[in-house]
Amino acid sequence: MDPSEVEFLAEKEVVKIIPNFSLDKVYLIGGDLGPFNPGLPVDVPVWLALNLKQRQKCRIVPPDWMDVEKLEEMRELERKENTFTPVPSPYYMELTKLLLNHASDNIPKADEIRTLVKDIWDTRIAKLRLSADSFITQQEAHAKLDNLTLMEINTIRTFLLDSLNCMYKLRSNLQPGSSKGQFTDY
Amino acid sequence: MPCERKPMRYGHSEGHTEVCFDDTGKFIVTCGSDGDVRMFESLDDDDPKFITVGEKVYSLAVKNGKLVTATSSNTVQIHTFPDGDPDGILTRFTTNATHVTFNSSGSRVAAGSSDFMVKVVEVSDSSQQKALRGHEAPVLSVTFDPKDEFLASASCDGSVVVWNIEEQTQVISWPLLQKTNDVSNAKSLCRLAWQPRAAKLLAVPVETKVQLYERGSWDHVTTLSDDLLTQPINVLAWSPCGRFLAAGCIGGLMTVWDVTSKLCVERQKHEKGFTVCGLAWHPSGSQIAYTDTEGSLGLLDGFSTSATDSSSTKVQAPAKKPAKDFDDLFDDDDDRLMDEGLSDTNSPAKKAAAADDDEDDDFLMPATGRVRNRGAILDDENSLDTGSLKLGQDKFMDDDDDAGSTTVPAAAPLVPLRPVYEGPLPTPPQKAFQPGSTPAHLTHRFMIWNSVGIVRGYNDEQDNAIDVEFHDSAVHHAMHLTNSLGHTMVDISQEAVLLACPSTDELASKLQCLHFSSWDTNKEWMVDLPKGEDAKALCLGQGWAAVATSTLTLRLFSIGGIQREIFSLPGPVVCMAAHGEQLLIIYHRATGFDGEQALGVQLLQLSQRKRQLINGESLPLSHRSYLSWLGFTAEGTPCYVDSEGVVRMLNRSLGNTWTPVCNTRETCKSKSDHYWVVGVHENPQQLRCIPCKGSRYPPTLPRPAVAILPFKLPLCQTSTEKGQMEEQYWRSVLFHNHYSFLSSSGYEINEDGQNQSQKEQQELLMKMFALSCKLEREFRCMELAELMTQNVVTLAIRYASRSRRMVLAQRLSEIALEKASQVQEEEEEEEEEPDYSNIRRPSGHGQTEATRGRYNSRHNQEEEEEQGEDLAEDDDGQEMETEEATETKKRVNPFAKEAGSPVKLPPTPVGKVVRSNPFKVLGSGKPPASSGQPRMTNILDNMTSSRKSAPLSGSAGKPNKSPVLKPLVPRPKTKTQSTLLQMTATKTTSKKTQDNTEPAADQQKQPDVPPPASPAENTENKRPKTGFQLWLEENRKNITADHPDLDETDIIKEAMGRFRTLSAEERLSWTERAKGQSGDAADLKKRKRAEGGDGVENEKAEDDENRARKKKPVDPSSKLSAFAFNKN
Repeated sequence: MDPSEVEFLAEKEVVKIIPNFSLDKVYLIGGDLGPFNPGLPVDVPVWLALNLKQRQKCRIVPPDWMDVEKLEEMRELERKENTFTPVPSPYYMELTKLLLNHASDNIPKADEIRTLVKDIWDTRIAKLRLSADSFITQQEAHAKLDNLTLMEINTIRTFLLDSLNCMYKLRSNLQPGSSKGQFTDY
Repeated sequence: MPCERKPMRYGHSEGHTEVCFDDTGKFIVTCGSDGDVRMFESLDDDDPKFITVGEKVYSLAVKNGKLVTATSSNTVQIHTFPDGDPDGILTRFTTNATHVTFNSSGSRVAAGSSDFMVKVVEVSDSSQQKALRGHEAPVLSVTFDPKDEFLASASCDGSVVVWNIEEQTQVISWPLLQKTNDVSNAKSLCRLAWQPRAAKLLAVPVETKVQLYERGSWDHVTTLSDDLLTQPINVLAWSPCGRFLAAGCIGGLMTVWDVTSKLCVERQKHEKGFTVCGLAWHPSGSQIAYTDTEGSLGLLDGFSTSATDSSSTKVQAPAKKPAKDFDDLFDDDDDRLMDEGLSDTNSPAKKAAAADDDEDDDFLMPATGRVRNRGAILDDENSLDTGSLKLGQDKFMDDDDDAGSTTVPAAAPLVPLRPVYEGPLPTPPQKAFQPGSTPAHLTHRFMIWNSVGIVRGYNDEQDNAIDVEFHDSAVHHAMHLTNSLGHTMVDISQEAVLLACPSTDELASKLQCLHFSSWDTNKEWMVDLPKGEDAKALCLGQGWAAVATSTLTLRLFSIGGIQREIFSLPGPVVCMAAHGEQLLIIYHRATGFDGEQALGVQLLQLSQRKRQLINGESLPLSHRSYLSWLGFTAEGTPCYVDSEGVVRMLNRSLGNTWTPVCNTRETCKSKSDHYWVVGVHENPQQLRCIPCKGSRYPPTLPRPAVAILPFKLPLCQTSTEKGQMEEQYWRSVLFHNHYSFLSSSGYEINEDGQNQSQKEQQELLMKMFALSCKLEREFRCMELAELMTQNVVTLAIRYASRSRRMVLAQRLSEIALEKASQVQEEEEEEEEEPDYSNIRRPSGHGQTEATRGRYNSRHNQEEEEEQGEDLAEDDDGQEMETEEATETKKRVNPFAKEAGSPVKLPPTPVGKVVRSNPFKVLGSGKPPASSGQPRMTNILDNMTSSRKSAPLSGSAGKPNKSPVLKPLVPRPKTKTQSTLLQMTATKTTSKKTQDNTEPAADQQKQPDVPPPASPAENTENKRPKTGFQLWLEENRKNITADHPDLDETDIIKEAMGRFRTLSAEERLSWTERAKGQSGDAADLKKRKRAEGGDGVENEKAEDDENRARKKKPVDPSSKLSAFAFNKN
């Protein structure tokens, strides 16, 4: 799965915008949007929010969790715990990236938020690598993926699966009685 | 003794000041924190002599040509007076002296200092000093015993001490004052004063009272108080005669008591309410000079010398007859009064009474005879309860006034007694504000936030600017203005931005309008208000602007800058709001008391027909709250919010009352949270506001987000299902009032929305009905049915009969009938006004139906079948409802749209009539089904009778015309006077209305000319051809030949005219012919009626079967003739 695909999925998340135009309800396959009243917050999917923002048709209201204090708290918790802590949004990384890239003027303390989210991400990825490591070294059969987001799983999936495959092959070669024919397969 | 309060004059710069007179009274000597001592020869002395004695002067005293000052250099200096030459330093302290004073002879000076010490120094020899130690805090004031034996001092440690000067010991110490750590922190300067001459009493200001202590025994003898004194007394001064005691207070109040009678003889208020910190009597006793903490000097002049004399020379009192008499006469009352006052104010009455005796012994020698007696009276009085005392007090006062004015005018001024005021205190009136703005003192503030946009004001070191931003960027792009004029008020609309600034010293108050929607190049105009007039509130309507000013004037401007109407407001404006052509003004109607605001409201309509809709009624506010937001809903209903968070909306359908629709505080999580309202919408029901955590106002940054609150009428028990539905129903009713207002004032309205709302209301009613049914509350069901429209009543009847509530169903059917007849009557009235004639109301169908009930029965049955048997018909009902709604609404429209609807469409929404009928039939037909045959006939009888009573309505009319036009024909018949002209006029108007109705009407239009196909339809609808119709068929060609250019409606008009000109008999014959044709349609009953026949005078009516039935007079002969014609 491509990160861009994950990002695409993230764009269906709902975000609040304050439009500066007036429009009746828009009827779409995915559901009705609007009505849009100037100055009145309305919930729209991220893709529409970004589109409107790029056309300067709205201001984006950052999601609740996109707040320095809350993120700091989360970062501390993430660092303290050995397991993965619940994340504010299943697409926190993608949303942060999208919103900060396109609407940083509507988000107070955008830079700090970017850093904080990156910190959280790094912590989590480090944990993920560690656990993958232990998963492999201890030859575990199962791993819990609680509280992992799609993006995070996605970053490690290909690598992990490939390496597991590889390991499996290597291991099966080490086993006594393994046929030489298998070896010749390579 | 009313004395004249001279205007204040500048004395010193701001800060503590003191004042005294020199021995002769020629000079007023003042000192102040600017370090100068000034000698004024009089209050008007423009160029007083002055001596600079130091950086600051804390206190001064003048006696025997010497001026003693306490300065900031920690010294007490002497200057010669009036020359002002330095005469050495009298003494020094380790810190500054706070108060200096001479003894009576001027030989010694006492000085109190912040280093806790009091020094007594011989003026002639400054080495002879006596230090009085013992205070534990800075000394506030010192005063000499006139006999030079003692000295009293007050200190910040809370004590008032009397010292024996020679022995340098404390004689007595009273812990009377509040403890503080420094003079500057002390509440009061606590200037003690020892009675001159007699030296009998030491006056000590304690809070708001003066306590008098007797010299020698040091007993507290009495207390002087005044109920108007609410703030601590700062300074005291005895009159030179020793009879009067003047006190100056923190709030600027000055009071003079007559100590002998303990009466307050004079009250004066500082003109600006500044704290009085210096007070001095003129040696003659006729003037009091005072200074305040702002450095100003004032004078009370004309202090009654006669009174002074009489007291100062009281031993020879008999010589002064009038004053004496007066004393004798009224001392009694006065004293009692005073004592009552005391007992009321918690001072021990007994003690006061005792003190009285003592005092009187001393000072009122001639009166001693009475004193015992009076004591007895006092005791009696004190044993009474307070209530009766108060009554008595009033009585006494009256006595006083009478006597004072009649018998002894000379001394009358002594008793300008005011009643003791204990009632509610006035509330400071709230200041004018712009709704939707945050307070002006903020450096970053919202100058306005409304439904159009946001205006922010920045006023800090770097910038003084205004940011204008529109919610809808399509209105205008954002603007950034430099606020060079210092605008404080803004309003913003779709057309313009209006700004106003208050006047400054040089500049007048200005009004600036950025008219960005102007199509010419000048987008801005500015107006100066007249001098002395400040803009207080402003608002922008559609095409106009209004400004309320400080002179209680309201000025209207056109949006382009033309000055329009101007009128006066009944009170100082609080705020204004505008919407379209409406202007809402809130002003102070009166003084509020006990925290309440007394606001009045005016609502003006500035349309073509200008008028005042609400005329200065008072604005209801929550208890002890003030107005915090005012505006209109987006739909144009006035609305406001008070500081308790209650949102109220105007209920136009209930005589312009105000209904609370929401309490924003209920949704707040914490007590200090508030919602800052920025807009109200009725459809959808939204209260747009900004949640503010821990404040009343949002900050400009971070940019606050708007939240939406729902409305909720504060009905009882909204937690129950019943309460909930009631609340929903009434809220829905209230929030859809605006439709009728809008349509009546000629606006386009959202018809869908209105239908929706009516549907919703009826649905709710039906639900409530069902609920009441379930709860066995049949009476309540009936009450609900009263609120329903007729169609829904029929549903209700069904519901009732299904749930086996026959009694209820029966009663409901009565209601249905009532409603039907009601509507009939209404329609009748409408017929009087032609415009309404062809519009049918919901129940109107029923009524027409009633008249035609027989004919339609078959059709109705079909309809009924379609509807199915269960209560799923709800939907159906609503559908009908909607349809009706459209029709009802149409009714109103014609006024608004008449001019603009020239489209002429052929009339006759016959199908519509039929379609709406089913409910009617249900209404009459259903109950019988449940209650049996007799019931049915009963109902039908009722129906017919009701129909008979209203003969004009619902007749079948001319078949070739739309049913809408039906009433036209009967009309002239009833009103025999009405002329043809009138008739045609009626027709045209009705046609116009009809045109409006047409588009929405059914497609089933009956052609104008009786078409060959139409007979079938007619029979289908049970509408026989009338005589006129027949006649028209035959004569149409003639008419078209005569007037080839006429269109259908005009042809009919013309035809009507012609038909009318026919003789009665001719017409009758036509009618009979018509009857013959449609004879099959006529049922038995009709025949019976027709049997009655019509007299010649009624023949006109004969063109309609129904009408025929209604005819009362019966003439057999005409009946016969009718048959004859029939045969033809």
